[in-house]
Amino acid sequence: MTDISINEQHFQTKIDDYAPVVGKNTIDELKMLGRHLSGKVIQNINSTYSGGGVAEILNRMMPLLNQLGVDARWDVIQGNNDFFDITKKFHNALQGQSEQVSDDELALFIEVSHQNMDRLKLVGDILFIHDPQPIIFIEKKPEYGRQWVWRCHIDVSRPDSRIWEFIKQFVVRYDAAIFSAPNFAQQLPIRQFMISPSIDPLSEKNRELSRGQIDAVLNKYGLDAEKPLVVQISRFDRLKDPIGVIDAFEMAQKSSDCQLVLAGGTATDDPECASVLSEVRERAGSNPDIKILLIPPESDLEINALQRAATVIFQKSLREGFGLTISEALWKGKPVVASAVGGIPLQIKNKLTGLLCYSVEGAAYALRQLLANPDYARKLGDNGREHVRQHFLITRHVRDYLLLFISLGKKEEVIYL
Amino acid sequence: MTQESWINIIVPVAIVLAFLIIGLWARRVVYNNLQSKLTKMGWGGRGVLIQSTRGPFFFWFLILGCYVAVQVSILQENIKEIAGRVLASIFIISIIWLLMILTERLLNLYLIEIKTPSRPIRYIVNGVRITLLVLGVLILIDFWGWPVTPIILVLAAAILTVIVATRDALADIFSGFELVAGRTFKEGDFIKLGSSEEGYVTDMGWRNTLIKTLDQQTIVIPNSKLVRDTITNFGRPLTKSSQPFRFFTRLQLKELTGLRAASVPELLKVLKNAPDSVIYYHTHNFLEEHQYLTPEPANDFALWVYDSLDLPVLSEKLANIDTLEYTSLGALRSAIITVIERYLADEPKAKTAKAGVEFNFIKSVIAVIPTPYYASDLREFVEILRKITIDSLYFHIFESRLRLKSKSNDFSTWMRTGLGENDLADQIEKLVPYTTTLEGLRSTIIRQVEKRIK
Repeated sequence: MTDISINEQHFQTKIDDYAPVVGKNTIDELKMLGRHLSGKVIQNINSTYSGGGVAEILNRMMPLLNQLGVDARWDVIQGNNDFFDITKKFHNALQGQSEQVSDDELALFIEVSHQNMDRLKLVGDILFIHDPQPIIFIEKKPEYGRQWVWRCHIDVSRPDSRIWEFIKQFVVRYDAAIFSAPNFAQQLPIRQFMISPSIDPLSEKNRELSRGQIDAVLNKYGLDAEKPLVVQISRFDRLKDPIGVIDAFEMAQKSSDCQLVLAGGTATDDPECASVLSEVRERAGSNPDIKILLIPPESDLEINALQRAATVIFQKSLREGFGLTISEALWKGKPVVASAVGGIPLQIKNKLTGLLCYSVEGAAYALRQLLANPDYARKLGDNGREHVRQHFLITRHVRDYLLLFISLGKKEEVIYL
Repeated sequence: MTQESWINIIVPVAIVLAFLIIGLWARRVVYNNLQSKLTKMGWGGRGVLIQSTRGPFFFWFLILGCYVAVQVSILQENIKEIAGRVLASIFIISIIWLLMILTERLLNLYLIEIKTPSRPIRYIVNGVRITLLVLGVLILIDFWGWPVTPIILVLAAAILTVIVATRDALADIFSGFELVAGRTFKEGDFIKLGSSEEGYVTDMGWRNTLIKTLDQQTIVIPNSKLVRDTITNFGRPLTKSSQPFRFFTRLQLKELTGLRAASVPELLKVLKNAPDSVIYYHTHNFLEEHQYLTPEPANDFALWVYDSLDLPVLSEKLANIDTLEYTSLGALRSAIITVIERYLADEPKAKTAKAGVEFNFIKSVIAVIPTPYYASDLREFVEILRKITIDSLYFHIFESRLRLKSKSNDFSTWMRTGLGENDLADQIEKLVPYTTTLEGLRSTIIRQVEKRIK
């Protein structure tokens, strides 16, 4: 087993630190649920301790679960580059992209999975398997028994049918599967639950910042603190439609004096990033009110400051998984204009917690509305923050996991604890 | 003896006897008046004061008589002066003795009232005794003309040290006296502090006061904090129910059924066979998820046919279904099905939702969890209602009535059967919880209960 190296900051966050954010009663409920799992071991298995959303959420969640008295453990599988190239293809294919996976590659995937199964000792009362990489571990169920849950973190609403059928043969052997949004669910003979991902209100990316910290970031990037600021935070990827954002911004700019920031990083596993960045820079041209910021992945504080400085936040994606950047923006009380794709409609109820759009023109119109009506924008932002407080913070995520673990094996729809 | 000699003896004796008689008469008059005035004031220490001072009062007249007798006698001046000093010293000693007796008895009276354990009482009484004794000795030394400054300095330093070392304890003890004397509250009262602690006073100690909170925890509050804080005293409990109301909460898991509908006929087909928990989820989900919005959020079916199928007429008809009219999910399901069937009869041509915005059927699985809160009367009920989670309120108002098949909401049921508060129960039952936010509903119920108990 490999040592777990969890960021020290996560250990410093105590479960009671969340009480001022979500209320003491909510924390008491978590502690009570934790007591119901006393003595049970929850063994998480995924493919990495660092990098990516799954590792990030586990890094934050494991210390909290342990503080609640739950014996949650975390192991990772090992594999060579060929193995992870194949799982990357799985990932893309399950999200609907076209990928060619040969039979040899499937055989290699199975072989490496079996090596991991031999290497890794199972100790959990509940085996919590994350994403497709370790999915074959379910073959251990006949000899090991216990409860098995597959946690699917990716959007499988329109998967490549061949890869889905390959994965499905393992999924159906689990006791339950978890998806992040209702439209990710599949016709399966096992129980499926919806547990949305979450943000951590105490993390560097979401914690409160002083005016001085925000101004320092604005100064660093030469932004005008007095001029309305429109921001989209996302990596430079065509699916995030950065060109569409510029189009919408320039339409709205005709009637409102404002500035736009497109900020994001480039993914090392995405060769298109550099060309997209170049296209975006070319499209922005000499417009002095558009800033393209290439920021390193660990710039959480800067992202936080840009979001908090924003007048309106955009997420005009053409395709999106769950889209947690929406929750991050809403948590800062900002009015958000976003496309109605992926998990975004779960976070934004049109005209109540933000504005949904379906086209560049729709995005431009929504932006004009918000810039011209600050009271309306503020109301949307306030509603959005409350919505996130109740449904998309890490405490709700922990609660859902605890409830799921408790309810495994129970068929009733009303469980009395 | 000559006649002059007899006069020299008789006059002082007569003076002493005269002061004895005057003393007896004055004591009778003064103490009769004092007794009646203190009785009117209702001061608990009157007995101690009168019993302790009656004897010394008479004794002081005797000392005064002796002093006057000495002064009119034929004794030499230096003997008169010494006799005067001795009598004055006896007077000072009697005053000190009286103060010691008086304070000891008063301390015993009040410290027992605030349930001070015997050992601290002994410490305090001895401390007062020593203090007065030292004070008396210092006065006497000074009176006889001997130097007292060095002794005073040493004593002052010692006292200062003791005060610094025990300042917190002293603050609590004196605050305890203040609380008792001020009658701010008494045992059994329900109090609420400005710093949010609340509960029944179960014990008033010499340093701390114990409060039993509504979640059955006992908290210890230093008396000095109580004196500084704002206290609302609600007095004695109201009529108690023999069956306390236990507050529960519920947490929901969303179970995906995998069932989807892309058109109204498909929606109808699934609805006919879906479990009750699906009907419940989609008629209450929006209310629960957006409980901070008002007014009256629509059910998921109405929202979907409007947003994804652009069917405003059907959406309005579905939104107009009043959930409160139905006491079972089966009846509610029938009402929804009837609306859709009637609509399809008039508009048989089906629109189809775009890929990705189909209706996904979700089932509500709930865990019902007891909270530590019990209410035995309306005061307890209203104070707990202020602090429970929205989930708890939701459970007792919505879930229990429709899903767990209670005839009414839990609050009204308990008020009616446990407290006989039929009018209040009816008022809460008549509230339309679907037309307000849950926080708004909480405030309305609190207002109604407070109006009843004021």
